[in-house]
Amino acid sequence: MAEFRLPSNSIVGPGKHFPAPEGATNTRTVKVYRYDPDSGKNPRIDSYDVDMDSCGPMVLDAIIKIKNEMDSTLTFRRSCREGICGSCAMNIDGGNTLACTMAIADIEGDITIYPLPHQPIIKDLVSDLTNFYAQYASVEPWLKSDSPAPPDRERLQTPEDREKLDGAYECILCACCSTSCPSYWWNSDRFLGPAALLASYRWLADTRDDATGDRLDDLEDPFKLYRCHTIMNCAQVCPKGLSPAKAIAETKKMLVQRRG
Amino acid sequence: MSNFRTPLSQVKGHGSAKEGTAHFWMQRVTAIAMVPLVLWLCFSVASLPGMSQEEIRGWLSGPITSVLMVLLILVGFYHAKLGLQMVIEDYIGNHGLRTAIVIGVTMVCAFFAVLGVFSVMRIAFA
Amino acid sequence: MTNAYKIIDHTYDVVIVGAGGAGLRATLGMAAQGLSTACITKVFPTRSHTVAAQGGMSASLGNMGEDHWNWHMYDTIKGSDWLGDQDAIEYMCREAVPAVIELEHFGVPFSRTEEGKIYQRPFGGMTTNFGEGTAQRTCAAADRTGHAILHTLYQQSIKHHAEFYIEHFAIDLIMVDGECKGVISLDLATGILHRYQAHTVVLATGGCGRTYFSATSAHTCTGDGNAMVLRAGLPLQDMEFVQFHPTGIYGAGVLITEGVRGEGGYLTNNEGERFMERYAPNAKDLASRDVVSRSMTMEINGGRGVGPDNDHCYLNLMHLGNDVIEKRLPGISESARIFAGVDVNKEPIPVLPTVHYNMGGIPTNYHGEVVTLKDGNPDTVVPGLMAIGEAACVSVHGANRLGSNSLLDIVVFGRAAALRAAELIKPGSPHKPLTPEDSAPALDHLDRIRHAKGSTGTAQIRDNMQRTMQKHAAVFRTGDSLQEGLVKMRDIVDSFDDVKVDDPNLIWNTDLVETLELENLLHQAQTIIYGANNRPESRGAHARDDFEERDDENWMKHTLAWTDEKANVSVDYRPVHMYTLTDDCEVIPPKKRVY
Repeated sequence: MAEFRLPSNSIVGPGKHFPAPEGATNTRTVKVYRYDPDSGKNPRIDSYDVDMDSCGPMVLDAIIKIKNEMDSTLTFRRSCREGICGSCAMNIDGGNTLACTMAIADIEGDITIYPLPHQPIIKDLVSDLTNFYAQYASVEPWLKSDSPAPPDRERLQTPEDREKLDGAYECILCACCSTSCPSYWWNSDRFLGPAALLASYRWLADTRDDATGDRLDDLEDPFKLYRCHTIMNCAQVCPKGLSPAKAIAETKKMLVQRRG
Repeated sequence: MSNFRTPLSQVKGHGSAKEGTAHFWMQRVTAIAMVPLVLWLCFSVASLPGMSQEEIRGWLSGPITSVLMVLLILVGFYHAKLGLQMVIEDYIGNHGLRTAIVIGVTMVCAFFAVLGVFSVMRIAFA
Repeated sequence: MTNAYKIIDHTYDVVIVGAGGAGLRATLGMAAQGLSTACITKVFPTRSHTVAAQGGMSASLGNMGEDHWNWHMYDTIKGSDWLGDQDAIEYMCREAVPAVIELEHFGVPFSRTEEGKIYQRPFGGMTTNFGEGTAQRTCAAADRTGHAILHTLYQQSIKHHAEFYIEHFAIDLIMVDGECKGVISLDLATGILHRYQAHTVVLATGGCGRTYFSATSAHTCTGDGNAMVLRAGLPLQDMEFVQFHPTGIYGAGVLITEGVRGEGGYLTNNEGERFMERYAPNAKDLASRDVVSRSMTMEINGGRGVGPDNDHCYLNLMHLGNDVIEKRLPGISESARIFAGVDVNKEPIPVLPTVHYNMGGIPTNYHGEVVTLKDGNPDTVVPGLMAIGEAACVSVHGANRLGSNSLLDIVVFGRAAALRAAELIKPGSPHKPLTPEDSAPALDHLDRIRHAKGSTGTAQIRDNMQRTMQKHAAVFRTGDSLQEGLVKMRDIVDSFDDVKVDDPNLIWNTDLVETLELENLLHQAQTIIYGANNRPESRGAHARDDFEERDDENWMKHTLAWTDEKANVSVDYRPVHMYTLTDDCEVIPPKKRVY
């Protein structure tokens, strides 16, 4: 059900302020959503004045600096710090993106950081992506082929056919797209969301896969697929520059085409 | 309240309804059909010499005009029904309420569509 | 100590710790063979650092010219500077072909040749005819091969209904009388401990790149499995061999694949000279990584570096043309733009040798079974324990790994471990019950760190360690500097007694996790720097200014390093396997290594 107001236990209150170390002249304020599951208190916004002269260029550098030097309880996911693992997806300056590839210099004014929208929060910036991962698994994202593979060599595929996978296989499952989609906000229990639909399309487009018909059968549903109203937030926020919206449009096209 | 269904089981839910493509397709087809029909309506009405009831009745009783008008009413209300259903499904989460409203909207659209067609016919065959 | 933790017990045939390429290949292999299998991982599987591998996976398919696994074996042994075990190298190079075919059958979206076969590119140190020509042996999916492989393996694991415990941090192994009986983990989301009893525990926990300040490795590459092994009283092998990748982006440390040079890119100094022609007249920019990293360092030390401080080099690929860059190297154009502000079509990328890979790790045989030196037998198998991937030291990489041999390593030995487990374990065979004492050391360990109320922050100690390692155990090493580093490291390890953990809670307590990881890193850093000081020769990635030659007579042997509670290191040695598994190939005797 579409909810337009936050439940009372999610209303964000004011938090603590952490001033910059003495002598810092070039500072930026980073405002971070904090939620402590152990206290049970409502979430709050803490603000940190970060010394930019000793901080790396990316937002992830800033929050690591905060954790290292100002507040070690700040909790977030991070791993590769080069935009390929998808761990540090969060809502920065109003848009979903990866903290590790988002330059601080590209943000004007205070840097506001929230977790990915419309997901249950476990702690601070760590959201619960269980449903997102289950949706990914539900599209059965693996090669299905009844045609036996040649025993001692690869299946063949032309470079042109392989090119059809470009823009689909590079997804890093960061969830930026799905959690930026209003349709997903209102119906994430039934709408698969852009990421899972992109994963599904990656196999629809693969010439080695021969379950295209079954895959289309499984997708043909008013909710699973057709909640996509081409809002295009997914394509706008994708930190890898992919377009799930285009993949979904291609899927719909395939469904229409097979009717006659 | 705990829930012991696995996340995958919850996501898979009742599986696929094997439906939706017709809805999607008809929404596009009706939208495209509306373009010439609405343009025709605008130009025709604009080019009428006057706006009195007599003149409108006279215009509407022509055979081509009444046929196009019936088409416009049918396509328009069908398109409206499809679009409203989409909005309702988006925003109403409760299954019972959603179904009831969709049925209600369908009936209202059908009523006005039939009413419109009936009116055109009365004028055409008067 | 209070051990009032809530614990959930599980029993499985096998438990795999780590869900990178090696862990996933083992998981799905074991699950597919009917063993009850669980995989514990501290990050969601597709976030493991295999995802960042770019260039490709070597296999002598011969899709792009004649090739033979014997040649691949020769290259790997030469690359290892004759520290690699030749039986294991034979196994890996022979199994490479079926392994890559299997991955293709799993659905990995490899780039293709015009004939529709898997595209292969040249890579450093990969030659034909035992060193004569350049081989095109590295199977690639553009420059995102690791991503393509890792995601495919995860997809296959879902297909085989493998059971995952995601965002669980492994604390310690459960060891009973020298046998591994299971493992204990902390579920980050709930703060509840899980105790897994298993006939075999497979460690696939990766390397410890984060012992250094600048590494291509992820923040999560903390070698937790290696440290668990040390705490279990078992040794690590050849830890002094740390690979510096020649082309990490200057400043950010982000990886730029060797595939750039494979596709025709080259390095230049501040005179615009292609200096690799001087250091490696034949292979040039495609010499093996240790050679290129040393050459770059010598250029920089000779004042011929680029930039305002003459402290890095340029990697040029402008001449390759848009088409090659777009098709074959799209990912690195993105990385260069984001992290160096460089348009690779117009400008060179500023690069610097950056810590990349640990050749050392947990000693194993080519089945993946952990071995140790016991009662004079250097190949004594530790029952119930396996190690694979970067965490393991089989040793197929010896003193220096060739590029694209690590994706191969993880897949081949992940599969080997699964095959071995299926041989050793009868599915569903019963477990002897554990006693509370068996898991007490792990709980005490957790308790000690969790309630650490000292005065020094985790990040402070970690920073000290990383800077010390970066300075004293770098590309070139000298006895004096290593000695100095050892003294500093001693102080840093001692300062850990005064560490503090601020976050008192158990749910998603990354303060606690980072402190546990730091402790793990400290022990491994000690084995690295101690081993480096202990080895008076130059071999592969271990280059000593004070001992410039390789000393086969005294040092063609593996270092084994144990640590005690205070991270004091003691060493012993294992011989290098100078024999092959079959008669299909011959032992390659040591000779001078020239590229």
